[in-house]
Amino acid sequence: MTDKIVEILRASGADAFEVTDTVTLAYEFYFIKHKLDQNRVRDVEHINVKVLKKLEDGKVIGSASGEIYPTLTEDEIKSEIDKLISRAENVQNPFYELNKPVEFEASKNSDIDVSKIAEDFVNTMKEIPETDTEDLNSYEIFVNKNKCRFINSEGIDVSYEYPSSMVEVVVNARDEAHEIELYRMYEGGTCDKEGLKKDITEVLKYGKDKLIAGPTPQLGKAAVVFPTSDAVMLYHYFAGKSDAGFIYNHYSDWEIGKDIAPKAKGDKVTLKVLRNLPNSSKNFDVDEEGAVIKDTVLLENNVPKTFCGGRRYRCYLGIEGSSMAYNYEVSGGSKTMDEIRSGKYLEVVEFSSFEVDSISGDIAGEIRLAYYHDGDKVTPVSGGSVSGSMFNFVNEMYMSKEQRQYDFCLIPALTRLENVTVTGIE
Amino acid sequence: MKAIFSNYLKELAPSLKKLIDELSSDYDYVSILATDSKGFSMQASQRNKSLTGETMMTERGCVVRVYKDGLYSEYAFNRPEADVSAMASRLKGILDDQISILKRTSTEVFDTAKLEDEPCELFVEMETDVMPEDADLGALMKKLKSYSDKAAGLKDYMVDAVVSAKSTHVCKMFLTKNRDMRQSYVYTEGSVVAIGVKNGKNSMAIQGVSDRSGVGIIDGLEEKAELAAIEVGEMLDASPVVPGEYEIVTSPEVTGLIAHEAFGHGVEMDMFVKNRALGAEYIDKRVGSDLVSMHEGANVVVDVASYAFDDEGTLAGDVTEIDHGILKTGVCDALSALRLGTKPTGNGKRENFEHKVYTRMTNTIFDSGESTKEEMIASVKKGYYLEGMFSGMEDPKHWGIQCIVARGKEIIDGKFTGKVVSPVVMTGYVPDLLGSISMVSKDRESFGTGGCGKGHKEWAKVSDGGPCLKAIARLG
Repeated sequence: MTDKIVEILRASGADAFEVTDTVTLAYEFYFIKHKLDQNRVRDVEHINVKVLKKLEDGKVIGSASGEIYPTLTEDEIKSEIDKLISRAENVQNPFYELNKPVEFEASKNSDIDVSKIAEDFVNTMKEIPETDTEDLNSYEIFVNKNKCRFINSEGIDVSYEYPSSMVEVVVNARDEAHEIELYRMYEGGTCDKEGLKKDITEVLKYGKDKLIAGPTPQLGKAAVVFPTSDAVMLYHYFAGKSDAGFIYNHYSDWEIGKDIAPKAKGDKVTLKVLRNLPNSSKNFDVDEEGAVIKDTVLLENNVPKTFCGGRRYRCYLGIEGSSMAYNYEVSGGSKTMDEIRSGKYLEVVEFSSFEVDSISGDIAGEIRLAYYHDGDKVTPVSGGSVSGSMFNFVNEMYMSKEQRQYDFCLIPALTRLENVTVTGIE
Repeated sequence: MKAIFSNYLKELAPSLKKLIDELSSDYDYVSILATDSKGFSMQASQRNKSLTGETMMTERGCVVRVYKDGLYSEYAFNRPEADVSAMASRLKGILDDQISILKRTSTEVFDTAKLEDEPCELFVEMETDVMPEDADLGALMKKLKSYSDKAAGLKDYMVDAVVSAKSTHVCKMFLTKNRDMRQSYVYTEGSVVAIGVKNGKNSMAIQGVSDRSGVGIIDGLEEKAELAAIEVGEMLDASPVVPGEYEIVTSPEVTGLIAHEAFGHGVEMDMFVKNRALGAEYIDKRVGSDLVSMHEGANVVVDVASYAFDDEGTLAGDVTEIDHGILKTGVCDALSALRLGTKPTGNGKRENFEHKVYTRMTNTIFDSGESTKEEMIASVKKGYYLEGMFSGMEDPKHWGIQCIVARGKEIIDGKFTGKVVSPVVMTGYVPDLLGSISMVSKDRESFGTGGCGKGHKEWAKVSDGGPCLKAIARLG
């Protein structure tokens, strides 16, 4: 089907094109307690086509994209592509060229047995050390075998396979008076049995503490420590501000070589795009536009070195040798975990939802469980919220030397922000 | 004009019916949901234009649901084979492989009864103005760019105004041995995201339009673009709110966010099956003041989530969830209804054909009251008028609520002071918040420009809204 589409595109009026064909076989299992609620299979193919049309003597280029359904006949495909070309003429942007083929060493595809990976997850979830008072309420297992082929009119034609998986877990803890729940979503490549067991065991302990949590005190401004995957959202802010699209559209005023926070007195951020991270769900050789992904430093000690992002924006900004970012690493900071956890601070282990706005940098989240460290005293607390802006926090943030991986992000295990607004309920 | 039903689905129906017959020899219940929904999504800003044929609900594919030995299984596909027997064999083979995993891992089944298959034939083509397939996209792109130019040129602090339009022609067909249900409708949404910068600080404000109609509603973005540009200025000059408890008056958009997060997710009854919702223990008990009444259902208003039947072939409904402060019932998908011994309410929805059905919201709306917005503001001694929403999060187990609101306009002694705080994190205990509602305005609106997730996934179109509410809330 893809070859037929490419043949039709070459014979069409399109000046350039990109085709992405993704075939997915997915096994899904949904559990209530440890009983199977439902089993599902996804057996699908999605072919996305982008056509480009030179306009105004090549000064501008039009583009439009859409899905070509695998059920279409040859005549219907031709009609869809003609429609895309017609649509492209209404979408005029400054001219740019698509990625061109370059030599690279392709990763070796390992055999992906979706059935075996799914079974590993089912077995792993049965081995979680539950007790009479802390257990699993429900969980959902998703395992995908993905086969992807990318072709463009410049001659790129690459194929690769990768596994991706996700487990959504709801944990309960109870005493005589009431029952509470905590939520986690784990994503990765295949089943990381030991990592999953370790993390969910930790959440079971949090559940026990939430039962005895008191009201969050009115702290006003306080230091807040982020020890969980919520910290990934903090670092997405830096990745977003380093995106060529954000720079081009003036949503980020970062400049290559210019410190983003010259007066910062805490740890400075070093952010690197990685082609591979062990068991990441995003270990690709090329990005979705066919650009080869290389290990690339975006930010070094708070100083932008280059920007990542889509081909069009990189082309407009004159950035070479970059790509879209998938896996990334934030280097460890200057502090040990004990040093991060010193003095008075609030360590939040569960938010209702922790949000960081990529444009304003505003952070916000309702506290479901935190530990308030007031000298030698540690109190589990719940309720209220944290808020503030990364625009200010970047001037004093601290990171542990130790790192921890969450799917496609390797980040400091602990991140500490100073002067966060903590609205309590006490 | 009527939104004409998909020819593709019409032609596919006979082979899907054969597939149901073939599978019925191995399974006790078989249904198929087939979809063919087309549309476009376009955007214009100061430096960009884009156009794709995809929206949140564009799709073409089928999902088969089968039942045997107390277990429901599903197979989603989008490459139907001409050889129906071969298709049935592939489906059985792959589901049998999953069953073998269950056997090897000694997994028990959450035993569920068989769905009834009452005969039903339905063919609905809803009215619309313009079909997305027929829209003049060149003219529409020019319109979006002019709105972007207008907003961006309005104030010095403006760096961009991203104006978008999305229109989808939804076609769905639900088949069983005894059922043949087909629906076709169009929904459209548009938004303006005004982005400004001042003293190195960025901020944004969002305005939108939505309806179960065609692109005619996009004209409404012209005045919204100007409004968004003014609002982002207010946010750039805003200060953080001093954390504390305040009197608040909510705009209809923020009212909708409260409806959605408080007793929208809180009474999705698949959560009752898992014992994940406190609401199950509060049926016929007080959860709000006498002024609080709330409805949920595809028939409650006409907006982006107003369909004729849900993804399990249950007809659309209108459920009174809260009646004068008393929680009456929740909403329910078909399988959860079987497990709870109740009736489905037409709220069984999938993100798309590839995803599982969950109990999901459609239109979640607070009822109107007797006051005017002006009376409500005049009654506030010290507090804020809250408007614009960014996001929210449900907590059905503990009835916590998190609403991230764009801005709060300070009110002292019944008058706006001109001071604005932004952003505002509103948190609290749902019965306390709803119990504190002391005034409700006469008018109400619905909003359908966003998406709703279940937990952190399963995105679906919903609308929510209501009138202005006066209440007491914790802001931070």
